Amino acid sequence: MYDSKMVKIGRISMGLAIIANFIPAIYIGLRYGEMPSMSVIFKIWGLVAATYGISWIVQPIAYYPTLGATGSYIGWLAGSVGDIRMPAASMAQKIAGVEPGTHAGEVIGTIGTCCSVLVSATMITVFTVIGSQVIPLLPEFVTSSFTYILPALFGAIYTDIARKDIRAGISTIIMALLLMIFGGKIGIPGGVLTLVIVLGGVLITRGFFVIDKKKASES
Amino acid sequence: MEVAEFQKIINGYDIWLCVIIMIAIVILQSVFFMKEAIKEAAKIGISQEARKAAIRSASITAIGPSLSPIIIMIAMSAMLGTPYTWFVLNNVGAARTELAAAAMGSSVAGVTVMDGNIGIKAWTYGIWAGVLNSAGWLIFVFLFNHKMENMVNIMYSKYDKKWIKALLGGATLALFAYLLSSQLVGKSTANYAAAAIAGVCSFVLGTVLKKYSRLQEVSLGLSMLVGMFLTQFLFG
Repeated sequence: MYDSKMVKIGRISMGLAIIANFIPAIYIGLRYGEMPSMSVIFKIWGLVAATYGISWIVQPIAYYPTLGATGSYIGWLAGSVGDIRMPAASMAQKIAGVEPGTHAGEVIGTIGTCCSVLVSATMITVFTVIGSQVIPLLPEFVTSSFTYILPALFGAIYTDIARKDIRAGISTIIMALLLMIFGGKIGIPGGVLTLVIVLGGVLITRGFFVIDKKKASES
Repeated sequence: MEVAEFQKIINGYDIWLCVIIMIAIVILQSVFFMKEAIKEAAKIGISQEARKAAIRSASITAIGPSLSPIIIMIAMSAMLGTPYTWFVLNNVGAARTELAAAAMGSSVAGVTVMDGNIGIKAWTYGIWAGVLNSAGWLIFVFLFNHKMENMVNIMYSKYDKKWIKALLGGATLALFAYLLSSQLVGKSTANYAAAAIAGVCSFVLGTVLKKYSRLQEVSLGLSMLVGMFLTQFLFG
């Protein structure tokens, strides 16, 4: 009941969003007389598809186990899945004391993700409107440190999650770093690399799962 | 076309009207989902206190990373206009991706250097590239997301529940490992320092604050700030 209701809200909102997404482009094209012809649209589409086409398909699949159905609808519409939605969902689950991968975990994760949309939309709105006036007033120390927001955020959150199972945490980050280095060298596209790393993580989990099970049955 | 005239067009109130529809959908979707999730949480016995704590901690956690696209945002506002920048930052696609897509579209219009006066044609093509790119994710999720839900349900009924839970946990851990390593590999030493400092800080706070759940809610944001500022202090 809950799941089907969420899918319904998700599909309706995604359907509407697909239409709304094109409104600015169509309006601008018609209003200012530079509407691209069908062949130009295909050319532009070809360029973006060549760079991001794999990500359109692979990313939603790779993130699905973490986000679940509802989280995916929110995350892929509101964007910033990795850097805002997932940290917020994961924090909400931790504080509410529910486990990810359970129904309670998904419900709390959804509440957290929704909150993050409301917060980030407010912040982005405030800063797009006043940002160009306020940012130059901030000390340079602060604005330069913005470069480190993402590595610091992911460093903090990874440690927080990995501490639950330190063996898996250490093996997984080593695996990810190695794949990232070698994948980059042999030119695996970024989108595919996400999926490969997630599958690698699942394999590592399987390894430890089997080892633990054996130990349990032996003792 | 003069810069001032171009800037006036790309920041026109009509553009704001065009983009506000999408933002309204983004916000309304979350409002509807949240209402249902809160109802469900009460139904399955999650206390009001826990729900409130979840809301507070998620909101606090979202503040920091919302600031990360600010620098790119200012550059983007100058080239593509504030309303369109507001639009893309609130919907699918990271700021970098949006900027790259816009540059691809503009290049089709023959503009290679992105500045404050790229002209109407490059602006239009840039925006077309952006929305075509976003449409890729939106359409895929619209078509297949509920099918993936069915697949997970089938997995749950077929395999050991304990294993599926471990599998989902492993996938999440690996996803964050991917996100972390993409900020490290090929980047400066300072990035490694920022990640390590914030990581240590998060570990220490997690241990020390174990008993104080109210303070734990800000631990992630606090660790991030310590990581950023200390790295900036050390590496400049």
